[in-house]
Amino acid sequence: MKAPALSFFKAPVKFRMPTSANLVPIRLDIEIDGQRFKDAFTWNPSDPDSEVVLFAKRTVKDLKLPPAFITQIASSIQTQLAEFRSYEGQDMYSGEKIVPIKLDLRVNHTLIKDQFLWDMNNFESDPEEFARTFCKDLGIEDPEVGPAIAFAIREQLYEIATQSVASARESRISKKGRRGTEHATSSKSSGSALDLVKLFGYRSSVVRKRKDWDVYEPIVDHLSNEEVDALEAREDRNIR
Amino acid sequence: MELTQRDPSSKPLRPDEPELDLYTIPSQSSWFLWDEIHDTERTELRDFFDGSSFTRTPKVYREYRDFIINKYREEPTRRLTFTDVRKSLVGDISLLHKVFKFLEKWGLINFSANLGNSSNVSSSSSSSLVVVEDEEDKARVKVEGTIPNAVRVGASPNSPKPISAPPIVGDSSGNAVESGFKLPPLASYSDVFGDLVKQKGLVCGNCGGNCDSSHYKYTKGEFIICINCFKNQNYGENRSMDEFKQIGHVENSSNQGATWTEAETLLLLESVMKHGDDWELVAQNFQNKSKLDCIAKLIELPFGELMLGSSHRYGNFGGLNGNKNGANPIQLSSSELHESLKIEGQSQEQINEKEQNGDAVDECPPSKKQRITSLSDAGGSLMKQVALISTMVGPEITAAAAEAAVTALCDENSLPRETFDVDEDHISNGICSPTTSFEQERVLQDEDSKLKETSTQSETQDTSLKSDDIPLAVRIRASIGTALGTAAARSKLLADQEDREIENLVAIIIETQMKKLHQKIKHFDDLELIMEKEYTEIEDLKDSLLAERIEVLQRAVNAGISRWRDHFAVKS
Repeated sequence: MKAPALSFFKAPVKFRMPTSANLVPIRLDIEIDGQRFKDAFTWNPSDPDSEVVLFAKRTVKDLKLPPAFITQIASSIQTQLAEFRSYEGQDMYSGEKIVPIKLDLRVNHTLIKDQFLWDMNNFESDPEEFARTFCKDLGIEDPEVGPAIAFAIREQLYEIATQSVASARESRISKKGRRGTEHATSSKSSGSALDLVKLFGYRSSVVRKRKDWDVYEPIVDHLSNEEVDALEAREDRNIR
Repeated sequence: MELTQRDPSSKPLRPDEPELDLYTIPSQSSWFLWDEIHDTERTELRDFFDGSSFTRTPKVYREYRDFIINKYREEPTRRLTFTDVRKSLVGDISLLHKVFKFLEKWGLINFSANLGNSSNVSSSSSSSLVVVEDEEDKARVKVEGTIPNAVRVGASPNSPKPISAPPIVGDSSGNAVESGFKLPPLASYSDVFGDLVKQKGLVCGNCGGNCDSSHYKYTKGEFIICINCFKNQNYGENRSMDEFKQIGHVENSSNQGATWTEAETLLLLESVMKHGDDWELVAQNFQNKSKLDCIAKLIELPFGELMLGSSHRYGNFGGLNGNKNGANPIQLSSSELHESLKIEGQSQEQINEKEQNGDAVDECPPSKKQRITSLSDAGGSLMKQVALISTMVGPEITAAAAEAAVTALCDENSLPRETFDVDEDHISNGICSPTTSFEQERVLQDEDSKLKETSTQSETQDTSLKSDDIPLAVRIRASIGTALGTAAARSKLLADQEDREIENLVAIIIETQMKKLHQKIKHFDDLELIMEKEYTEIEDLKDSLLAERIEVLQRAVNAGISRWRDHFAVKS
């Protein structure tokens, strides 16, 4: 009973988003003729591909963008979808995987910084629900913040999932076909996994030390207009 | 040691106990204890208790729960948000949220805060249910009663002082905690399999025979015997006559499908022959037998029944067998246990019959052989020679030869043709008597045909041979021709006869093989049953042993105590 984790063997999981809804985070950032269109949303990969073009057309119509955007939007979405699909069918990690998720985003006038842990094995997790609770607890009224938070979480989860696919492949090759994924190897890809043994073991407590509380506390700033403009200008400069 | 005590008597708060912090939780959460993890928690937060991950153990759950509740109780009037606590706890955020929601739902946190904020408090009748809604922007609490009906929990967990029973207004006894899930009622074997068992017919406890009609029931226990046993005074051990009472004919309808009288069997066969595979029509002939019964019955009968159905017309050869075999299955009971006995009996009889048939069959070839060997010496009579030749070659050849001979005769002279047409009966019968005599030796059980032959012979033997005016040579030729013709006809009849015999025998063989297979299958089924029973018994033993072994370990872990050694520290 000393280290039960090492004796836990989980079968490798097929790639998918570790949330209850298997949605792909899609980010669009298109610039044509000086006009810039940025958007971020989630897409259901089981929707038929015909929907992509329809969506692009509708978006362009709603936002009154020049029609040149339609093809760009559609192709960008399709590229990202194809990338997602290319991972499907491959094995992800197996074993414990609790990863830190960091939020650092600005939505209109709200600046959010946060950090917390997310369990990649929990396939009923719901970033949208987390975002809802977040906004309610902190009294955020801007309706765009919630979806932005959820999207940020999804994006990070997606990235971690793809990383774990690659690492799973590597570990398989390195072990020359031996399929048993040990806890130790999976921990290499995620730094906090090693700590889990310490944290969840018998000796320690899952209650964090007080000095760490600030790290994991969400920070929400409401910015004034000037601050928003300043930040936006800085962001544009960074991109260029 | 902290206790929660419920005092049904209503008393005002005693002012001399200020050091006790009283926290209100709803009455249906009275199961909550600091030291233990209740079943409610186990079922709703299954993730911690199924042992699927070392990050989710009872210890971890207890830490989460205790921390959150304590955090709330630092300031009971303020509503604790999830965001407040999640920064302090390590673990998957979704899981933390689940625990938080659970605690909030059961009112272990945010209860007073919600009550204080709510505007729906009515100060009338007793409360039963408190619903906390936190799905919308503001927490709204619907309280169907007064606050004081809630249980007052004792001191906060860290206080070392024991509490005396805090007074509670109103009654809160009889709190049935809904554990959230109900076990399905236990089903017993007889519930599930009772129907199947009932379908078996009543079985005599003594002789094992089927008790179709009235039987005798032992009044002092579960024992029934059939009429025969009762008559024979076979009551079984230690039972006397007066202890049995007669139970009349139980409902007949279940057995009706199985009782087939001979007349019904015959009718069935006829309708099968008439209608072939059309079971609807066949079943229509029977009021009380369904389609399935007819088919089942037909299958039960030996195959010879089907084959010999056609030979009913030819004679009793097949009919005798068919009736004999048809009578036996009627007594076959539907009870599987005793079918074996019956089948044995039946197969015995069938074997006997087969022997008879075999004898009959056996007699034919030997007689044939006898005839061949004896006729080789004959040499004298032409007919005998012809007969010898015809037996030595195949029947088709003989038939063809006979045909050719007849046509040759006809071609030679037109007169014989006339003769054939007119006086065939008389001439043929007169000349044929020597041939029929020894051919009758071959046909042993063809009684009807024999009778026919003898009758026709007796009829026509009286008639004198007319046509004296036809020249002798022609007459002789004609007679020879007719003799050959009749020989051919006879041989055809015989061939048909033998075909039927062969078919019958083959069918019987196949049938006995099938019966053998059935027996084997039954035997294996019984074996399998026994094996399964043994297996379940062993499994049960194994389970009980395992259960005992892990019980002790289980208790320690389930209490959520972090370490075995720590257990003693907590106790002190």
